[in-house]
Amino acid sequence: MSNQSGSSPVENQRELDLISRAQNGDRAAFAALVREHQDEVYTLARRLVGDPHLAADVAQEALIRAWRALPKFRGDAKFSTWIYRITVNTSWTHKKRAGRHQATPIEEHTQVAAPVDARHPEVAGEILELRARLRHAVDSLPDAQREVVVLKDIYGWSHAEIADSMGITVTAAKVRLHRARARLARDLEESA
Amino acid sequence: MSVVCEMAAPFVANSAVDGGEVILPFRSHTAACLKCQARHAVMSRTARELVAMQDQRIAAPADLEWRVLSSLEGDLELARTWRTPVALSAAVLSMAAAIVIWRLRPRTS
Repeated sequence: MSNQSGSSPVENQRELDLISRAQNGDRAAFAALVREHQDEVYTLARRLVGDPHLAADVAQEALIRAWRALPKFRGDAKFSTWIYRITVNTSWTHKKRAGRHQATPIEEHTQVAAPVDARHPEVAGEILELRARLRHAVDSLPDAQREVVVLKDIYGWSHAEIADSMGITVTAAKVRLHRARARLARDLEESA
Repeated sequence: MSVVCEMAAPFVANSAVDGGEVILPFRSHTAACLKCQARHAVMSRTARELVAMQDQRIAAPADLEWRVLSSLEGDLELARTWRTPVALSAAVLSMAAAIVIWRLRPRTS
């Protein structure tokens, strides 16, 4: 799984230090990790389950599971990648419990947007509009398709990782992705 | 022509997202078909924007950190003060219950 948000060596060292202290039971260090990662965890949960209240419950449980599993974290993967996996698994558990939920549009809650080129305002405006339409289109996908698009096209998981996590075959994951992309393209065309 | 476009669609989408070429049976069709090229362009742009969404954050509820940490408090509290005494008491009680049941069993003679 790729993580495109680069962090400096100093930040990495600080995070490793926090993880090591949290592994030894230091709850202040874990609180710092929670503060650092809670938005990412909540964002992923929100994209997977749609419903904001359910997403908050998922994020809470994922962070608690992370605390309990922390002694087993060996640093083979990045901490954010590891916590994403826990969040995805927790999302499936909660969704099974809660049944299907209607997705809620998420654009009004977006806090930090990826930068657009301010030198070309007309292009920037177009990109912002496309992003808004895209977020709405992703949110409108059926659950099974949205989950695959979120994990593959936004978070860069492989088909095998998605299939493994969702308990489906690689072929099923590919089919869902194809249907989702086709629907996204159609929705974007219609809303243009 | 449109049937071929529909058959090529998933491969056009994959190529647009992954940045590779469309697979061989559809490559020449896609190169000549304006509809497929337009789809490719739309999908490439969509894919770029989807990737950019990874850096967009939705603010977590203000009380999330508090909820997590207070749950941990309960977790540790239970582990330290309750789990062992509860397990020991349950073991002692079940032993006592077994003795009482044995002593009070009906005897035939």
